[in-house]
Amino acid sequence: MTIDTVQTPATAAPAEFDARVEGQRLMKEWYGGLELAGERGQPVANVFVMGNAIEILRCFDFQLVFPEINSLQTGVRKVSEEYLRLSEDYGMSPDVCSYVKADVGLILKEQKHPAGLIPKADIAIASNMCSTFIKWAEIWERMLKTPTFVLDLPGQRAANWEVRPGDAQHAADARWVEAQFRDLIERCERITGRRFRMERLAEVQSEVNRMVGHWNNVMALNRNCPAPYNAMLDGLTYIGIMNVYRGTAEGADFMARLEEQLRAQVARGEGKVAGEKFRLLFSGTPCYVSMRRLVELFESWGGVFAYSDYLTFAAGGMDAGDLVYDTSRPLESLAEVTALAAQRGLSNQFFAHERLAQNVRDYDVDGIVFHGIKSCRFVSSGMADTRDYLNKRLKIPSLYIESDLIDPRYWSDAQIKNRVDAFFESLNQRGGPAPHAGRAAAVPLASEASIGGEA
Amino acid sequence: MAQGIQEDGETALVEILERCNALRLAPPPADDALPAGYSGTLGHFPVYFPEEIAHAAGLLPVHVLGGGNKLELKYADAHMGSFVCSICRSTAELGLNGTLQPLTGFVTHPICDAAKHLAGIWSRNLPEQLAQILYLPQNVNTPGAVRFIAAEYQRLRGELERKTGRPIADESLRASLRIYNRNRRLLRELYAIRRDEPWKLSCTESYLLLRARTRIPCEQHNEMLEAALPAIRARRRAAQDKPRVVFVGGFCEQPPLEMLETIDDTCYVVDDDLLIGMRWFTADVPETGEPMWALAESFVERSAASPVQHDERKTKEGYLMEMLRTSGADAAIVTAAKFCEPGLDEQVAWSKHLDHEGVQYLILEFEEKMTSFEQMAMQLETFAESLLFSIA
Amino acid sequence: MRYFGGVDVGSTQTKAIIIDENRAVVGRALQDMETSMKTVAQDAFDAALADAGIRADQVVRVAGTGYGRYNVSFGDEQVTEISCHARGAIALFPGTATVIDIGGQDTKAISVKPDGQVADFTMNDKCAAGTGRFLGAASYALEMPLSALGPLALKSQNPVRITTTCTVFAESEIISHLAKGILPEDVLMGVHQAITSRCVSLARRVGIHSEVTFTGGVSRNVAMVRLIEDAVGTKVNVSPDAHYCGALGAALFAHEHALANETRTAVPA
Repeated sequence: MTIDTVQTPATAAPAEFDARVEGQRLMKEWYGGLELAGERGQPVANVFVMGNAIEILRCFDFQLVFPEINSLQTGVRKVSEEYLRLSEDYGMSPDVCSYVKADVGLILKEQKHPAGLIPKADIAIASNMCSTFIKWAEIWERMLKTPTFVLDLPGQRAANWEVRPGDAQHAADARWVEAQFRDLIERCERITGRRFRMERLAEVQSEVNRMVGHWNNVMALNRNCPAPYNAMLDGLTYIGIMNVYRGTAEGADFMARLEEQLRAQVARGEGKVAGEKFRLLFSGTPCYVSMRRLVELFESWGGVFAYSDYLTFAAGGMDAGDLVYDTSRPLESLAEVTALAAQRGLSNQFFAHERLAQNVRDYDVDGIVFHGIKSCRFVSSGMADTRDYLNKRLKIPSLYIESDLIDPRYWSDAQIKNRVDAFFESLNQRGGPAPHAGRAAAVPLASEASIGGEA
Repeated sequence: MAQGIQEDGETALVEILERCNALRLAPPPADDALPAGYSGTLGHFPVYFPEEIAHAAGLLPVHVLGGGNKLELKYADAHMGSFVCSICRSTAELGLNGTLQPLTGFVTHPICDAAKHLAGIWSRNLPEQLAQILYLPQNVNTPGAVRFIAAEYQRLRGELERKTGRPIADESLRASLRIYNRNRRLLRELYAIRRDEPWKLSCTESYLLLRARTRIPCEQHNEMLEAALPAIRARRRAAQDKPRVVFVGGFCEQPPLEMLETIDDTCYVVDDDLLIGMRWFTADVPETGEPMWALAESFVERSAASPVQHDERKTKEGYLMEMLRTSGADAAIVTAAKFCEPGLDEQVAWSKHLDHEGVQYLILEFEEKMTSFEQMAMQLETFAESLLFSIA
Repeated sequence: MRYFGGVDVGSTQTKAIIIDENRAVVGRALQDMETSMKTVAQDAFDAALADAGIRADQVVRVAGTGYGRYNVSFGDEQVTEISCHARGAIALFPGTATVIDIGGQDTKAISVKPDGQVADFTMNDKCAAGTGRFLGAASYALEMPLSALGPLALKSQNPVRITTTCTVFAESEIISHLAKGILPEDVLMGVHQAITSRCVSLARRVGIHSEVTFTGGVSRNVAMVRLIEDAVGTKVNVSPDAHYCGALGAALFAHEHALANETRTAVPA
């Protein structure tokens, strides 16, 4: 892809691009590739969405397995309960993360997943960004003898944490991250028998830069009224690509076409939800086993999610700005950007009020929906307090509902519908939808859309 | 005459233990009740915290271990979710109900996601306190870990210097290291008695003695232990026919005292991981050279293990089997706190391994706020009986 | 004169209220659950009409609420019981700022604006421990009617602490206390205190501000009223019509929306 293609003005008729269909095709292709990894002699790596070293793994041509995606897919395909029960019979407590349990179920079913046979990993990269990742990897060590590398990323230490690229704190953090990348590279060389080449890393990083540039624009385009996509639903397809195709030309191309498509939509004044009445933020992760129903509950009231915070933390945290790789110093820059993303986009979930307050303003929202997840303490432990804080400070209406990632036993339709309905009743009583004037997005014009341009 | 001395020793010991129990239930000292030489208190959450740094700053390190089983949660529900361990909820409660208001600061660690959220809750509700996450790494195996930890300690040092308005000299740090090294030696002696003569010192008593350090300066704790140890050694008690067990799962949320007493009734707990963070170093920290580096290096090279500290050299099976071996225990009590993600995951790995090794164990789930123990007592009695029959 | 109806189809009981165009209550009915939610709604409504002495065609608009609100087939709209309880509470006690509603199956706390709008709400609908169900368990264990529990609890001098968080196990804890010779009133007071603690804790999530209005079936329990007052630190509004709060709110919504729409007029027989 050349720069010219990226800069196609929005007014030109875009090629027919259905992000959902294309996204599904790419995911299917990826799962297909996983099944063939063994016979193609490709090494396989297990990675998580928050804190991984995909850029390095691409240099060794690892096929990437995302156990979180495998687990959520068992929910989407409505088979999660079987996987969960298997793991609980094995001894896992009902109270632990349902993703972990579904994966233990997968192991007990000898890697048989509805999307195909999942290959066993030659290495697992677990980060400390979610503490459960490490316990999960320790399970693979035992059940599958998977070699594990824990990537420790220095996170946000406190509220109002300011770290600027180049300052002493950032330098100390980046130095530690770089040391671990070097260690990881050595291990990957041993495991795969291939040599690491810095030029290859630079190539991969270029693609990531391109992808992230478009991604930032995609996220910003939803600041328009009406919002061209539903962050909670369409966002799932987008972050699937952000993760699975990170560092590839296909991934960057997808994001470029998506941006183009959305710009055209915005130019036509076309919103995802016809009759958009209320713009909302979604905080948490969806209930994958009742995805359609969850979306329907909100869309039936004219509610659309302009932003969802897992678009930040589950897509590498790459929308925080300043996250552009300097390909003339690939490894140092990888460490620097990874440390920044860890603090501004991943571990800042523990201080979520800071980001959400900004998002409320940026996306011009009428309310926040907090979705607590019974088995996920990363998402849920501080949620009630964050909600309380934002209620008081910003006087923004909010709704709290609770279910689980993929455990259908925690989805209570009548109870959730009751709460959602009450929330919209009160939004309507407040005077109904806000007056919109078709606000322009706070993004640069098409001709200025460049790699890594900040929205 | 000897018996008189022994009785006096026992009386003194009982007084010490009563004082320890009072300390266990006490809130952190208020500013006007600080020990001499201290200008404030620094709260810290499980598991391990480099207390020497606070100590050298003239801040009394106060280990915050939740609210026990007498605290009523009035505010916690509104601020922290329901599927969260009790220690995090009750700690949030202690912050919100004013009990921890005197703290100069509160430091937590990336042991698990619920604990990381405490820092956020603190920042939103107690903005005047220094609320920090000390990012101890979950990777200690890559070269460069010691350097990173030392940098993180220096960062904390800077924060404490700013907060107290006084510099922390290297010499003060070395002095603190010496005091804590003495404490480490005394605690090793305490645990040696547990292992070699468990009829002289119950798990409950040893726990009370250890936990006292969470509310008093280390130097006072050293004096207390130095008074207690000879009295314990002088005890004349017959060894009873109880199985020797290790207790694991007490690294963070604390089992109620009554639970430990119930276990003591039926077993000799010859080793455990209770308050392991307070006994984190397995040998003394070097007292010469750069003190922060010595602390950081000790964290990596001479430390214990827990389910919330990943270390390729210390597999959970490895350290549990080592614990069983070095303490001469016959079996394990494998516990986890309710809703404790890492603890519950660890229970599965431990139990599978013990099955494989043919070591008997009892699985228990507990909550710090439990108040009734009949069920647990019955399980323990049954467990002890089956052990005694199999050893016989 | 035009009339407006509200029907609250709950899991154990259905309540119906008829108001006139001056918003005065002219008829009410309370129906225990039948096998069909559809028929129980109709039966309650018919009973309320009879109580008011009017005909169905005199009722301009009906709103359904409660979990079974979609079964009010003759209703013109469905409104959640959260919105209805808020509206009903303000009608009963115009100074209401916080509503605590403890029912047989769930508990709600609602923060209400002076005009009856819901500012915030929170619910416990997963766990029976903070609901009337806990009293039901106590009633079963003590073999006493629900209505006798409150007055007996108030006689307690030394309440015990009930620590089990699950209603199912609380029954055995209650029985075990009684077996040890603890007085029934002391056990009962412990139960009441446990419920109060959970409910007030829930209410703190939306903020407790004076005046507090206590609704739902459990509000007729004198011990609960006393304990809630102690816990929130102010006098608490209770009404013998507390049961009907949701249905009243629904009727008020029906009235409001009818005036807004002006779509139907009463057709003379």
